[in-house]
Amino acid sequence: MNLKRISSVLLASCLLLPTLGLLAGCSDEEVTVLKIYNWEEYIDDGGEGSYLYDLALEEGVPEDEIEAPRIIDDFELWYEETYGEKVEVSYSTFGTNEDMYNELKLGNVYDLLCPSDYMIMKLANETKEDGSPYLVQYDESFFDPSVETNYYIRNVSPYIQQQFETNAGLDTPAGEPKWNEYAAGYMWGTTGFVYNPGYVNAEDLEKSGWQTFVDPAYKGKITAKDNVRDTYFAALGLTFEGEKDGLSQLRERFSAGELSQEEYTKAITKIFNATDDETIAKVEPRLMDIKENIYSFETDTGKADMVNGTIWLNYAWSGDAVYALDEAETPDFDENGEPIEGSELLLNYYVPEAGTNLWFDGWVMMSDVVERGTKQAAQAFVNFMSRPDNAMRNSYYIGYTSVIAGENGEMLDYVDWLYGNGEENEEDFYDLSYFFGEETGTAGIYADEEQRTCRQLYAQFPPEEVISRCAVMDYYRKDANDRINELWSRVKAETLDAWAIIVICLVAVAIVLFIVFVKFGGKIDFFRTKPKKGYHRVNK
Amino acid sequence: MKIPRFSRKTLCIPYAVFLLFFVLVPMLVILLFAFTDDAMHLSFENFIKFFSDPTKLSTIVYSLVIALVTTVVALLIAYPVAYILAQSKIKRKYVILMLFVLPMWINFVLRVNAIRELFNLISQVEGLDGLANANYFKTIFGMVYDFLPFMILPLYTTMMKIDKSLYEASADLGAGGFTTFARVTLPLSMPGIMSGVTMVFLPSMTNYVVSDMLGNAKVTIIGKFIYTYFGNDWHMGSMIALVLLVVVFLSTWLTGGFKADETVRGTNL
Repeated sequence: MNLKRISSVLLASCLLLPTLGLLAGCSDEEVTVLKIYNWEEYIDDGGEGSYLYDLALEEGVPEDEIEAPRIIDDFELWYEETYGEKVEVSYSTFGTNEDMYNELKLGNVYDLLCPSDYMIMKLANETKEDGSPYLVQYDESFFDPSVETNYYIRNVSPYIQQQFETNAGLDTPAGEPKWNEYAAGYMWGTTGFVYNPGYVNAEDLEKSGWQTFVDPAYKGKITAKDNVRDTYFAALGLTFEGEKDGLSQLRERFSAGELSQEEYTKAITKIFNATDDETIAKVEPRLMDIKENIYSFETDTGKADMVNGTIWLNYAWSGDAVYALDEAETPDFDENGEPIEGSELLLNYYVPEAGTNLWFDGWVMMSDVVERGTKQAAQAFVNFMSRPDNAMRNSYYIGYTSVIAGENGEMLDYVDWLYGNGEENEEDFYDLSYFFGEETGTAGIYADEEQRTCRQLYAQFPPEEVISRCAVMDYYRKDANDRINELWSRVKAETLDAWAIIVICLVAVAIVLFIVFVKFGGKIDFFRTKPKKGYHRVNK
Repeated sequence: MKIPRFSRKTLCIPYAVFLLFFVLVPMLVILLFAFTDDAMHLSFENFIKFFSDPTKLSTIVYSLVIALVTTVVALLIAYPVAYILAQSKIKRKYVILMLFVLPMWINFVLRVNAIRELFNLISQVEGLDGLANANYFKTIFGMVYDFLPFMILPLYTTMMKIDKSLYEASADLGAGGFTTFARVTLPLSMPGIMSGVTMVFLPSMTNYVVSDMLGNAKVTIIGKFIYTYFGNDWHMGSMIALVLLVVVFLSTWLTGGFKADETVRGTNL
């Protein structure tokens, strides 16, 4: 026997030993795997630029000693400490609500999802292939504020909670489950314009509202979103802003006290969710006008184009707006690490007066949690994310606004830390009482005028007045979905006249026939010329 | 101990499995979805809808035109390059060839992004600002840039294979430079042209990353449609994909792409 060979085999198996140990370790203890499916870049990922990192930096901890773990790692530790069981988070991400929906339709199973409002409605109303529901409601105990670890219900902003309850009530036809019963909020915000004050005048914007999209002054300098929902919404705003009984008039009547908040919200929600043929016929030419006037349809290039000056106006979600504002005002650094003068750019955020979209991303549990035994862990995850310090971490990292207010208004300190000017001038007071469920004038921060009217603070924590004129988007039911899709194709693509299509088709057919003739004509007797007398054809 | 012996047939199994699951089955799924409705019942609704919708037909036309222009421009650029490279007697011409192929080593999304930024820079120059909204031009530019190596390589290999003595023979028989080109080089490089054309024409019909990034998503080609429809209506998405497949099949067949004896096609990379 070859000694060398035996020893090498032995050595190789020694290398495998540790793996065996690992395998054994696994089977000893059951580890719950919690499968989470969230938006890309929508959670604190630790490291440089995260909340904990910047906080430590501010306290003077040297850079290389700062520990800023990922929030998911912290959750795993916290869960084991609190519940005495191990949990392992398997975290994956999606880019659009539709991508997520397709994954579910294909039968992929997750425990927690974080879709937007309309997708939650859709999921709540639909069932899987086998007829079982997609989603499951939270336990009643989840909403019991007396339990210490029920951070969500203890800390969620009562105002936001109530806003979504009202809106869900408005949207949901009788008999369909209310979508807010399935969801625990995560982030929320508005949509509006990020603009470059160097080129765009705030007063002009206020005057033109949604008409900004078709203002020739901004031709080729403004962007719309490359998805039908947001752009259709904007076009609805554009179409019905100046109409009789349209958005502007409704707003005036609301300001004059003729309409109650509920009546007003109901009326604009109806306008912003209209998908009937008549409305589509009205909106279509306006969408074409938008296409004509804008620089591009974009999903994520808008931020960069704003910062480098290619465009002046970018229709954006408030969280992206905050990110763009932050990014633009950070100066570039030269090779010595010194900021380059003039490389920073101040951008602003503006919400159309006539009303805009109030949106909301929330955690929902797939019905499979029951069978998988992960319901407790899923709810614990939502609770952990809702603890004010964690909500701050996430919000700081991604720029979006958390639904969490904090039971003692912890979020207010955070907002003050971020945007406060440290003075206590009466006229600098920015009222956020509504968000914290306090009486008007009692909860707020002192901030500079820009912050209060057009910068990050305004984008991230809009004043109550802005939210009062917002509408939540419903999902498109089957018929509406088809109509809207067709509309979107017509908008995105160029449509030729019928005669042109017919001519082109005929030409195409002619070309095909010609090629066929050239290729195979020689093999068909009909096309062959007769051979000369005395010759005969030899077939190969 | 008997050593298991693999015949050639058994070695084919992995490929057969691959082809089955990643080519054949997906195509059947597309076929299935194209001719069913939401309840998975047989339905020709999407078929009728597709052919009665001027927008979708126009988009097919637009995609064909964009692909055609891309192919022609790429051919006009690539042919002289390949010709000069094949004819020249300089040493190390593979270095020049490599320079053309080099960009392919980097993912094309990154390259298209870089071009986007370049165009942004250029359009800030006074007088060139029209470029910012020249979406069709930018799209075609991006596609030509993207597919140029696929045109140059087959042309170059075919031309390299042309026997040099044929040129001498042509000159001996009194043909000038142009006649030699028209009657010897061009006909003999035809397989290379065909191969290059198929490799550029077909993918440019669906290369919507370029039309989105450089055309500012204001240029819509059929590939983008398929993508958008798969967001919320798989059945229509499948129907569009199926129509595209038929178009692709037809054009490959017409240009002789299925002949087995043409070793040039595809195998020369």
